[in-house]
Amino acid sequence: MTAAANTVTEDFYNEWHDYEGNLRSHYMPLSAALTSFNQGDLAARWREARKQVNLDAMTFYLEPGAYRNMPTDFVPRIIPFEHWQSIAAGVSQRLRAINRFLAELYGGAQDVVPDEVIYTSHHFYPEFQGFVPPRNVFVHIYGIDLVHMGGGRYLVLEDNLRIPSGISYQLKSVGLTSQLFPEFGRSYDILPYDIRDAYLSMFRSLTDNPDPVCALLTDGKYGSAFFEHRFLSDFLGIPLVEGTDLYIGPDGCVYARTLDVDLRIDVIYRRVEDLDLFVPGLSEAYLNGKVALVNGMGTGAADDKLVFLWVPQMIEKYLGEVPVLEQARSYNLADLDDRRYVLENLQDLVVKSRQGYGGLDVFVMPDLGEGYKAQVADRILQNPLMFIAQETLDFSQHMVFNEQDLLLNPHHIDLRVFAVQGGDGTVTVFPGGLTRVAQSGSRITNNSSGGLCKPTWVVR
Amino acid sequence: MQTNMGSSVNAVAVSYIYAVRYGYSDAVIHNDNQLRIFPRVGEGQFEPTAEIWSVPSGRGVDYNDRFGNRVRRLRVIEPHSTFVVAAAGRVRLSNEAPSAVDVPIADLQSLPESFEYASISPLVDPDSLTDLAHEVGAGDQFLVSAVTSITEWVFGNILYRRGTTSVATTAREVLSAGEGVCQDKTHLALGLLRALKIPCRYASGLLTGQRGETHSWVEFYHPVAGWLGADPTRGILFPPARDYVKFSVGRDYTDVSPVSGSFLSTGGAQDVAAIAEVRFEDTTFSLGDALDLLEGAYVVQSEVSTLSPPTERPERH
Repeated sequence: MTAAANTVTEDFYNEWHDYEGNLRSHYMPLSAALTSFNQGDLAARWREARKQVNLDAMTFYLEPGAYRNMPTDFVPRIIPFEHWQSIAAGVSQRLRAINRFLAELYGGAQDVVPDEVIYTSHHFYPEFQGFVPPRNVFVHIYGIDLVHMGGGRYLVLEDNLRIPSGISYQLKSVGLTSQLFPEFGRSYDILPYDIRDAYLSMFRSLTDNPDPVCALLTDGKYGSAFFEHRFLSDFLGIPLVEGTDLYIGPDGCVYARTLDVDLRIDVIYRRVEDLDLFVPGLSEAYLNGKVALVNGMGTGAADDKLVFLWVPQMIEKYLGEVPVLEQARSYNLADLDDRRYVLENLQDLVVKSRQGYGGLDVFVMPDLGEGYKAQVADRILQNPLMFIAQETLDFSQHMVFNEQDLLLNPHHIDLRVFAVQGGDGTVTVFPGGLTRVAQSGSRITNNSSGGLCKPTWVVR
Repeated sequence: MQTNMGSSVNAVAVSYIYAVRYGYSDAVIHNDNQLRIFPRVGEGQFEPTAEIWSVPSGRGVDYNDRFGNRVRRLRVIEPHSTFVVAAAGRVRLSNEAPSAVDVPIADLQSLPESFEYASISPLVDPDSLTDLAHEVGAGDQFLVSAVTSITEWVFGNILYRRGTTSVATTAREVLSAGEGVCQDKTHLALGLLRALKIPCRYASGLLTGQRGETHSWVEFYHPVAGWLGADPTRGILFPPARDYVKFSVGRDYTDVSPVSGSFLSTGGAQDVAAIAEVRFEDTTFSLGDALDLLEGAYVVQSEVSTLSPPTERPERH
């Protein structure tokens, strides 16, 4: 018997087993497949899988000079189909409401989010007032971070609307698992999906050119997600370009330099933030309707962590619907009552920097020492508009295989789900997502903060 | 405080102009700023008119911040190496000299103003000034009397001197240096008042009847009279509204800076020139007047603190 649970923790909902340590039924075939290995075989296979990660250069880049492999735990996470149905409905609903909000915002008519909140958002761009993007779609690729509270109750933590990353790790971890551990999936009916077709159809839907040229704009091999840029360019069959490969022609259109004739670009799948820094004049070309950008510019106004507080109202107002997914209870520190409540209850809350990313500047107060309290309170008081506070969530854990002792240990996990919205407004949510695993004892799952990833299946 | 009594009260009409020019060492790709250069409405200011120009023009949107200041968020995406912002208009200012009976400081503690305006802010840490505050206030338990002692102490003990402090100098640093400009004196006075738990705010604007730079002073909260002025640079208590064209109020300079924001460039900020003028007459100032005035303005070299390149943001993950 191998891959037994190391300890059974009673503190958190565990997706693998219940509070008594009894395996949940949808994990029985997987557990049986794991235990059918003898110890030596499992360890060898695991080493080989890790080697494959190295050979494929599946990396994540933390800071200059610090490439590292994307640590992957090959024991899949399984989402039951009935959970998935409400996740997919909730993700689609949220994406449609946010897109509508952005159209109202740049159309000058939004009245859901207070002026000071939306107009101080770093990624609100006044020059896009009155601008209508191709097919009126701002957000084409959406990444939403969810946590599972147990029993199929998923809560939204964050929306990612600018250049959400991670879909390559979703594909890659599932692919490597089926390739190297085919036994794991043998008894399951795993929901299939086609990311390539959905992306390419979406690109085509944004332009009138029946045979459009699309390119992926990268910040280059020193960017944190270069693996993903290269992977997606191969996977989608579109050229990978850097800023210096593109220029704005005399007709105002965007061209890519090639060895023979320069190529007019119809759609840029951009994976950089400050477009004009990489391609001078690109935002003007976009404003003039000469090129479609995926995602559009100015979408970051809605993925601001403070604007997040008003997404349920966007759903109610713009769609006339009740939100399918709940979201973490959050506090606006610019509001005096909220600020007072947060300062009085700081020890129970999570404080996040409004412009933060990747788990940096996140203070999980219950997990920090008492000494941090005064420091964080001072930072809130000094810059109340720069932070938000959220309830601390006891979200789910899953079992992570430890290569040294061949035992399974509980770690917190979250779920980033990706969805695509095409020019006709149809939304495709890809079943599963990227499960990110926190380091042992931590609740911060972001890969920038050193977490792992896990293959994720939706099973019928 | 009412805002619809402009023509009936004892008030004076003034015309104002303010202009600032930023020079950069290389082309700026985009420049993203918040402008707080609209006159406030109320509190002794009536019927303001305001025009704002920028070169390059960029695009803006206006909103009110949580302190009640009118703000313009302005983004310029045309490449440029010089950026000019100017504002001009008219406003009627009350001539009345405010006065207030003294009250115990303790009466202020439960007010919402105390929560917002007596805490730590980026440039003012009251806890670092507690000892001096008690020494200067001499154990005073009353509001007006404590404000008087502190305003006079800062006026008399901090030397007015340009060029030794920056927009990022803290109240505590002003005390150590013993010198500074109006911003520094205002910060130190705010810190001493807050150390005594007196809610007070930073007011930013222009001095009337002269040509010069922007000015700042203190406003403290009186439970009956509302916000009252104290000017530690000029050593004046309860100045009448007619002394200033008030643009904005906040906890310290970081909340009220006339122009604040960030720019993206391979180069840096090189110099800043600013000028302001308020006349007791009816004049229509133009952008051309602003550019002419800037020719004679005081230039500060590479004042990067108000405008700094945004930190590079790695891709979210």
